[in-house]
Amino acid sequence: MTMPPSPLTMPPSPSASPSAVHVTAAHDSALKHTTGEAIYIDDMPLPRGALHLALVTSAWAHARITGIDVGAALALPGVSAVITAKDIIGPNDIGAIVPGEVLLAEDLVEYVGHPIAAVCARDEDTARRAAALVTIEGAPLPPVLALDAAIGDKHYLLPPSVFLRGDPDPDLARAPHRLTGSVRVGGQDHFYLETQVALAIPGEDRDMLVHSGTQHPTEVQHLVARLLSLDMNAVTVEIRRMGGGFGGKESQATLVAGIAAVAARVTGHPCKLRLDRDTDMEVTGKRHGFLLSWDVGVDDEGRILAVDMTLAADCGWSIDLSPGVVSRALSHADNAYFYPHVRLTGLYCKTNRQSNTAFRGFGGPQGMMAAEAMVDHIARTLQLDPVETRRRNFYGPGRDITPYHQTVEHFRLPAMLETLLASADYATRRASVDAFNATNPTLRKGLALSPVKFGVSFNKPEMNQAGALVHVYTDGSVSLNHGGTEMGQGLFVKVAQVVAAVFGLDLDRIKPTATTTGKVPNTSPTAASSGTDLNGMAAKIAAETIRARMAEQAAALFEEPVEAIRFESNRVFAGNKSLSFPELAEACHGERISLSSTGFYRTPKIHFDRTTNTGRPFLYFAHGLAVSEVAIDTLTGEWKPLRVDILHDVGASLNPAVDKGQIEGGFIQGMGWLTMEELVWDKVGRLRTHAPSTYKIPTARDVPAVFTVELLADAPNEEATVFRSKAVGEPPLVLALSVWLALRDAVGSLAPAGWVPPLAAPATPEKILMACEEARRA
Amino acid sequence: MDGGTRFALNGQMTHVNGVPPDWTLLRWLREEGWTASKEGCAEGDCGACTVLMSTPPLEESAMAWRAVNACLVLLPQVHGRAVITAEGLTKADGGPHPVQRALAESHGTQCGYCSPGFTMALAALSLDADRSEEAILESIAGNLCRCTGYRPIVEAARALPSWTPALDPTIEQTLRALTAESLAYTVGGQRVCAPVDLDEALAFRAEHPDAWVWAGGTDLGLRITKALERPAEILALGRIPALRGVRETDKTLELGATTPYVEALAAMTALAPSLGALVRRIAAAQIRNLGTLAGNLGTASPIGDGLPPLIALGAKVVLGSLRGERVLPVEEFVTGYRQTALAPDELILSIRIPKPSPNLHVSCHKVAKRVDQDISAVSAAFVLGVEDGRVTTARLAYGGVADRPKRATGAEAALLGQPWTRDGLEAAKAALADDIAPMDEARGTAAYRRLVAANLLDRLYLETTETTAPARLEAL
Repeated sequence: MTMPPSPLTMPPSPSASPSAVHVTAAHDSALKHTTGEAIYIDDMPLPRGALHLALVTSAWAHARITGIDVGAALALPGVSAVITAKDIIGPNDIGAIVPGEVLLAEDLVEYVGHPIAAVCARDEDTARRAAALVTIEGAPLPPVLALDAAIGDKHYLLPPSVFLRGDPDPDLARAPHRLTGSVRVGGQDHFYLETQVALAIPGEDRDMLVHSGTQHPTEVQHLVARLLSLDMNAVTVEIRRMGGGFGGKESQATLVAGIAAVAARVTGHPCKLRLDRDTDMEVTGKRHGFLLSWDVGVDDEGRILAVDMTLAADCGWSIDLSPGVVSRALSHADNAYFYPHVRLTGLYCKTNRQSNTAFRGFGGPQGMMAAEAMVDHIARTLQLDPVETRRRNFYGPGRDITPYHQTVEHFRLPAMLETLLASADYATRRASVDAFNATNPTLRKGLALSPVKFGVSFNKPEMNQAGALVHVYTDGSVSLNHGGTEMGQGLFVKVAQVVAAVFGLDLDRIKPTATTTGKVPNTSPTAASSGTDLNGMAAKIAAETIRARMAEQAAALFEEPVEAIRFESNRVFAGNKSLSFPELAEACHGERISLSSTGFYRTPKIHFDRTTNTGRPFLYFAHGLAVSEVAIDTLTGEWKPLRVDILHDVGASLNPAVDKGQIEGGFIQGMGWLTMEELVWDKVGRLRTHAPSTYKIPTARDVPAVFTVELLADAPNEEATVFRSKAVGEPPLVLALSVWLALRDAVGSLAPAGWVPPLAAPATPEKILMACEEARRA
Repeated sequence: MDGGTRFALNGQMTHVNGVPPDWTLLRWLREEGWTASKEGCAEGDCGACTVLMSTPPLEESAMAWRAVNACLVLLPQVHGRAVITAEGLTKADGGPHPVQRALAESHGTQCGYCSPGFTMALAALSLDADRSEEAILESIAGNLCRCTGYRPIVEAARALPSWTPALDPTIEQTLRALTAESLAYTVGGQRVCAPVDLDEALAFRAEHPDAWVWAGGTDLGLRITKALERPAEILALGRIPALRGVRETDKTLELGATTPYVEALAAMTALAPSLGALVRRIAAAQIRNLGTLAGNLGTASPIGDGLPPLIALGAKVVLGSLRGERVLPVEEFVTGYRQTALAPDELILSIRIPKPSPNLHVSCHKVAKRVDQDISAVSAAFVLGVEDGRVTTARLAYGGVADRPKRATGAEAALLGQPWTRDGLEAAKAALADDIAPMDEARGTAAYRRLVAANLLDRLYLETTETTAPARLEAL
């Protein structure tokens, strides 16, 4: 036994240093973001001989390819190669869930923008010019360009999915009121500020290193290995940070990384593919648009007795992640409401458009929109108070089984509702909105509340696992790695806080490092709001493993029982003895004790039977409520949010500022989806809104002047999540339904009570004005 | 002197030689490893490439610094200017600038990709003392953030201290000297001519009618970054003092052709507050700091927001060539879809806007999906005079309802001489239906445009009659 490296000293007060969790800490890269020091893939210096790629894409929505002429492109000085499907060594397949989705089209193109070839050139400009010189010959085939046409023709990618509980038909037939309705909701482009990008660098032994802007490094690794006929151990995928993801870089990043990797293999040079904005929007998938229809039976007080709902998803040309998206839509079509008897049917409609994909909420928002539109329909038709109608239909004791047969536990919305109605001064404002509407000649106000209950865990149980790798160095500094990716959501700082808390260290002693498949293997995507729940727990387990070893060594040094060892304030204590953390690390090294550990976590309790669509897919639910007030101009359809009050449940927040940022940012993004973000395709299937000049996401002026966001206080998660926190990435986006409902409320004020505004989403000024016209005729 | 562009980048004189003149500043910066400025869209609509650029003063006063989109500025436009990127904002001791610290501390960054652009937009805000909510929103109207929801960015802006960039006096002298010289060079077969003398420009124009005539470049630039066109010759007008500036008489406001919106805004607001409000909505600060009303006119787009007010106010355009000058009403200058009466040897020299008499009501409107930095579905400008209850002046001009911005002459005729009443209004709305021929496209259907065009007359009626209730959402 060696002696401690320095004399034992009296401890400073351990309580002087607050715990690293449940406190606000800045994003680990915040200052680097503002100075430009933070490096994104497009900022990386390129290796010698690197080539730039540009895509050649289909001009047809549906066609058979009869010829590809690359002669003119190859003749352009600076062009080295044109990659087509023939150059792919392995199977030409990047299907994420179901095999059969090509990387590059072979003989069939299925949407305008479908990648056919990639030009490799010495610079991006040359590559883009050469791409325009590649000529594609094809024979057009009839396309399906509208969701309605796909529904009508049962043009499905997969057979329908059904969630069933009870027997809805008899109760629908005998309900005092039976209402049928439908609403359309458009898709949404992710509009991450950083477009899709990958840099593939060939190495020795046919190895491939891919810097990929991906939320799913393991999938990129797996599919690049398949495309190149390599073992997975020959492919390393790395990502330090993305400039936004929102789901758009979950499966879609594979396309870009796959093409870069194939080109790097063919040319033997490092190859970089960065999509310019227009190409990104024309090529990559978006949020699924849906047609949501319901047949609901209710009693005189608006209580739902039975529901039969159909959620028809516009999947685009391929399956991609649509099974997961539709499943999550179905599992959220109840939102916060108990359906005594229910049938929910999900349709996988195929259209000749971009293949729709993951987007923050993953179908959940569209499912919840069906519920909210239906409840709005009930309240308006029966002329009931919309808040009271919602309260009556909330889950509650004896009314707590979801359409997928999970029991709703720890349902927080009833209590939260009372809090928010009071803090938002709802009753008074309802009266003043009505008073305004009675007097103003052309402007109208609307006010609405909407709840959110969001299931947390990947719907697919096997995806709920994560790994981490933690090293403590002999100077006491800590290196942290895990399978989660940083795209701005603050995952790295939150997980670093967890590790800092385990070791009792200051946050700046923990260095988050780039996500790489070489350190933590076989990971799940950073998606489903699960990043912190999964990776935070894996990192906590890794850190606790090391801490236990260090504690044993400290116990030996202090000659105290191991139970007496405490890690606090960058020191290690037992009674009145203490060592600095670096001193203990050095001592452990001297004793040949490992200061490195992996950590592995699997979510407990969850299970789901995909044949019956029943089980417990979610470990717990996150809750939220919003009250939104808007005004519309009934002459032009222009609108403006006036005030938004949010109360949101994040359990015991790991980092209140980061969580609040997710709530505010998610809400505004959701508001964009439901109002100004309109995807427009023309008659031949070309996307006409493919850049910010034509596709409008919210700006600072679109944020309501009064925007109050509160975290639910004293609300630790009842489930044993990481420091009792709750997931926050996706649920708040859905709070924006309150804005859409408030717009309906404003339009409804023009018509007699009992009328239901035919306002779809996105509720653009045009749609609002046309709904106003309908109201005036009602 | 040899060719190329000389400018001060982050405090150091830089000479860019051998680079084609149609390279944007952003492309050059990133090639050279100045990667703080990001490409988010390459069309001036996201602000991720925002930098500060100095503008030579019209008189012997201090250098003006303005936020611009580096993706829209060609290298020759930077000649004689100073440019500051987010990298150059850090203090001499390596510490962050107050803007950078404020954004980081207020949690105003998440993914960080837009952050250098917001940093520079807020640096431009901090040049002045105004931290009103309106000033803050104006300063970042051209910057998109997809993560934060903006609240923390606005909060960071509220407490920013005022700041003036330091520029070494020797460098400033060098820049002033460069500003006074003509610039011309050819790289890779592409030629730029950027004279300081108007006659030189007119001579070049006469000899090279196909040269791209470049003022702010905020519209033309997209032909380079998006359509990948490569101009063989560029005639850049931004260095000609005779074309820049605002001249006023009792009766007229005259804007030199290369006067950016930012330098005309105060005078246009004074001419009619509603006109000023419209000019603010033409585009965000980064675009207004480069773009010109004459460029808007030369483009002659049916949705050019500047044109309906010029037509309604009866503005005239002054055209010049070596043959001499001529003056045309704006209405006659625009001859069709993106077509004008400009002769191949002519340049727009200025725009003359008559000041409306105080008894006329000037009312401008822009209807779009979004308030800031959007393209109109419909825009309109109305000049209305009512005496003794009867309409004595009615000039109604619209954008977005035909192949060009145009007057609604039928509706005007229906109003003139008639009582300004609901009945008169309805007659005008009925006549308007034959004045316009809108089309369906991504920004709106023809049916919507027809409805809005007519309803804007309702809004005009509300604004000019006794009602005191707010008639526009801005008032709420």
